[in-house]
Amino acid sequence: MIRTANLRKIYTTDEVETTALNNVNIEIKQGEFVSIMGPSGCGKSTLLNILGLLDNPSDGELFFLDNEVAKYSERQRALLRKENIGFVFQSFNLIDELTVTENVELPLLYLGVNTADRKKKVTEALERMEIMHRANHFPQQLSGGQQQRVAVSRAIVGNPKLILADEPTGNLDSARGDEVMSILTGLNEAGTTIVMVTHSPTYAEYGNRIIHLFDGHVVTENYKEKFHV
Amino acid sequence: MFGSYIKIAIRNLLRFKVYSAINIAGLAIGMTCCILILLYIYNELSYDSFHEKADRIYRINTDLKFGDTELAIPVVSDMMGSLLKQDYPQVEEYTRIYNFGGKILVKKGSDFNVEQQVACADSTFFKVFTFPAISGQTDKILNEPNTVVITESIAKKYFGTIDAVGRTIETDRGVTFFKVVAVIKDMPENSHFRFNFLFPMANSGYNSWGNLVSMNFHTYLLFKEGTDYKEFEKKFEDYNDKYAMPYAKRFLQVKSREEFEKAGNKIEHSLISLTDIHLHSKRAQEISPTGTIEYVYIFSAIALFILLIACINFMNLTTARSANRAREVGIRKVLGTNRKSLIIQFLIESTLMAFIAVLLAVNIVDYVLPFFNDIAGKELQAGNLYSSSILVFLLLLPFIIGIIAGSYPAFFLSRFMPAEIIKGKLSSGSKSGGLRSALVVFQFAASIILITGTIIIYTQLNYIQNKNLGYQKNQILIINDSYSLGNNIDAFKNEMLNVSGVISGTISDYLPIPSERNNSAFFKEAGMVSESGLTMQRWIIDYDYFKTLGIELSEGRNFSQEFGTDSSAIILNQTAVKQLGYQNPIGQKIYTWVIGGRLVDYNIIGVVKDFHFESFRQDIGPLCFVPGGSDAVSSARSQYKSTGLTSFRINAASLSTILKEAKAKWKNMSASLPFSYRFLDESFNEFYKADQRVGTIALLFSALAIIVACLGLFGLATFLAEQKTKEIGVRKVLGASIPSIILMLSREFIKWIIIANIIAIPVAYYFMNKWLEEFAYRIEISWQVFVLAGCIALVIAILTVSFQAIKAATANPVESLRYE
Repeated sequence: MIRTANLRKIYTTDEVETTALNNVNIEIKQGEFVSIMGPSGCGKSTLLNILGLLDNPSDGELFFLDNEVAKYSERQRALLRKENIGFVFQSFNLIDELTVTENVELPLLYLGVNTADRKKKVTEALERMEIMHRANHFPQQLSGGQQQRVAVSRAIVGNPKLILADEPTGNLDSARGDEVMSILTGLNEAGTTIVMVTHSPTYAEYGNRIIHLFDGHVVTENYKEKFHV
Repeated sequence: MFGSYIKIAIRNLLRFKVYSAINIAGLAIGMTCCILILLYIYNELSYDSFHEKADRIYRINTDLKFGDTELAIPVVSDMMGSLLKQDYPQVEEYTRIYNFGGKILVKKGSDFNVEQQVACADSTFFKVFTFPAISGQTDKILNEPNTVVITESIAKKYFGTIDAVGRTIETDRGVTFFKVVAVIKDMPENSHFRFNFLFPMANSGYNSWGNLVSMNFHTYLLFKEGTDYKEFEKKFEDYNDKYAMPYAKRFLQVKSREEFEKAGNKIEHSLISLTDIHLHSKRAQEISPTGTIEYVYIFSAIALFILLIACINFMNLTTARSANRAREVGIRKVLGTNRKSLIIQFLIESTLMAFIAVLLAVNIVDYVLPFFNDIAGKELQAGNLYSSSILVFLLLLPFIIGIIAGSYPAFFLSRFMPAEIIKGKLSSGSKSGGLRSALVVFQFAASIILITGTIIIYTQLNYIQNKNLGYQKNQILIINDSYSLGNNIDAFKNEMLNVSGVISGTISDYLPIPSERNNSAFFKEAGMVSESGLTMQRWIIDYDYFKTLGIELSEGRNFSQEFGTDSSAIILNQTAVKQLGYQNPIGQKIYTWVIGGRLVDYNIIGVVKDFHFESFRQDIGPLCFVPGGSDAVSSARSQYKSTGLTSFRINAASLSTILKEAKAKWKNMSASLPFSYRFLDESFNEFYKADQRVGTIALLFSALAIIVACLGLFGLATFLAEQKTKEIGVRKVLGASIPSIILMLSREFIKWIIIANIIAIPVAYYFMNKWLEEFAYRIEISWQVFVLAGCIALVIAILTVSFQAIKAATANPVESLRYE
């Protein structure tokens, strides 16, 4: 589904060059659940942004669904993104001025789905995440766990092939964290590819492969028994 | 402590450069406008207040009604001043000014110069008014004939020195030599008259001395201290009974005052304070064009509008930015600052900015004042800025604005609870969103009112330019001062007619352009019963007048050389025929009386279609034409051939040849005056000069108001885009296109502008309708004007906002979400 070759990302700020990613070669197959781990500043989020087509690499090749997309324009990337990828963030990134329903509805709006279908799909997503009873509330009226469930609803409502999650449990207590992880596992079992960045070794274990990054390099790719056996 | 506040304030200014620049620039522009307008108003209000006795000087006005015509004039009979002084002890002194025909020729070297600012005055002139002498005495002058008082600049012009007492000037008037008896300082610019030459009454050439119903003298009364002027005005009735009525009875053949009034006639007098003349007198025949108090009001309102807009910007930007400063406030509060010192800190910051803006504004004013003077037709001095009252205002202004503009953010920011801010719970700025939108709506409503006003003023002026006047104002060349051609004038005209490109020519005393004109009384019957009378202007013309100006006859015929009796013929305009009530005017007689009280009669031979000979502010009045001539009949009627104006209808393509020819012929035929010319359409525009000025000023200030408002909008858009960075990022991650983001950011502003339009339309309609009502001939305010004004505001606002919106929308979402 995604393949990178000699991927590099360099940030230049005020004469200082920082290499965030260096020579990254990974492949993520359809249906995988990949965890990315590593210390702060090792390039996890940068990698996730590039995999999610939010950012272009400075160098190297990036294949998404067999297309070379490394040089795609923002408009082309946006087109691929909204049809194929859902995002879940550590800080949820819900829009404060919109209700739960409206937040979840957003990706469908941008996909041009008609009103009736939108309503149906939003309801489905919210019911699946068991947050339907809060549909008309604003994000600030919800607990952290509830907000993350809304964020996940938003990520899945367009039925994406890939979900990218950046520390989805980072702002949650352990009970809520477990909850979110079981949701992600469920989605994966239903066929969605998931790439998740996390600090937590426990939650990383939910994936069937753990990629360890250090200073922008892939140190090791730790396949779980599922693939070994 | 105070020092640290200032230090922090300066650092904050420097740290947020764009924000500070927008804020200070907006305020500075606003204040520049404000100061300019203030100087203008200050100047308008200061007219004639420099006279030491200004508060005791009043001028007598006259209101006449005679038949269908009403006259409001600022002049009285030659006797009135002295009779009032003789009868009423309250009158300490009086002085009269006699307008001496507008101009004289003064010889310099071998040439004559035209001098316009001339008058005759009583010897009491300098007792009543304060015009200090540089040399010579002013207390005993203007008594002797053949003397003259001149101003400093005239002394320099003719004698090269201010030391001119005892020297003589040579003029074209009666006795030609006048001895200079005093040199006075130039009359101040803010005086309702600015004479350069004052001659004694003995040289006035006036020939109706003692005629109590002939009003020709601007007469000023100096009252004793403590006189009740309102009370004194009532005495004019006694005066009229005692002096004017007996005279009028003889003239009009009425038996009593009652009979005179029953016929709908009146003679009334009133007083106007010297200092009110410039702004409050709307009378014809003022010595120089006056200002209008309405424009002072309009400009004050504009100044206030612009200052308010600038203040609102200031408040809006500061409040909006409060979110970014919330952390600072939180930390300060955690560290133990109390609310009071926070408020002080914010007020100091805003006052400091206002102070910088005032300094900037004063400098800009210095720079732009000449341009403004040009537009406003004024001679304002930047030095007036430092006259006490304006200086106090300038010093207080930053504090007032600083406190007004800084108070809301100060109180708003200092209210934040530290714990909330530190936790990042504050939903930034959204709480003040309502007030902020109200302020922006107000700003734009004010701007839209100004834009609408400007459009309407220009449309009306354009309407005037293009309206069918009833005559052809284009391609008419006027030769100035053609009386100096003397007996050569006919030869000049005839020779000019041979020049190719000259279509026709005429010699007349008046043209339909602004000039001093008198009314005469005319009657349908020889008995001169006042009901059958009216007053109208009498223009002396020649055979080619109508042809040259393109005025059409509706009945009868033009004057013609073929009719020997035409020197007693008269042509009326349609309004005169209507007001006199003739069914078949041709062949009827009409009567008037001429100098010396003699009755003369005229045969009506023609009627011309009405044409606009006065400003569009007035309805077309009655008007008649008589031919000028040198025969006995004409002289008896004082219809001397007028030589004031020679005009030619020309083909503009040959203008340069025509002018060259005219100049050459002039040189041969004229005494010594330099050749000068103008065009009828240019002179026609003089009617509306004041309106055109107001139009230009309104245009200028509405442009500035828009700029200031846009600076504010730009600041707000910047803030809004910044505040919505996260939202924009999220939306883009979810697949939002750039146009949809721009639309999202602009939508709110567009909504505000639409609301502002709704508020502005009725206000603008009301005020502009009032302005238009002053014109007898005017445009209707159409809905398109409002649509246009609204669209202009909208387009400008969208352009302003979209710059920020596009910037925000095209930013990489990763940037905005990275530090979440």
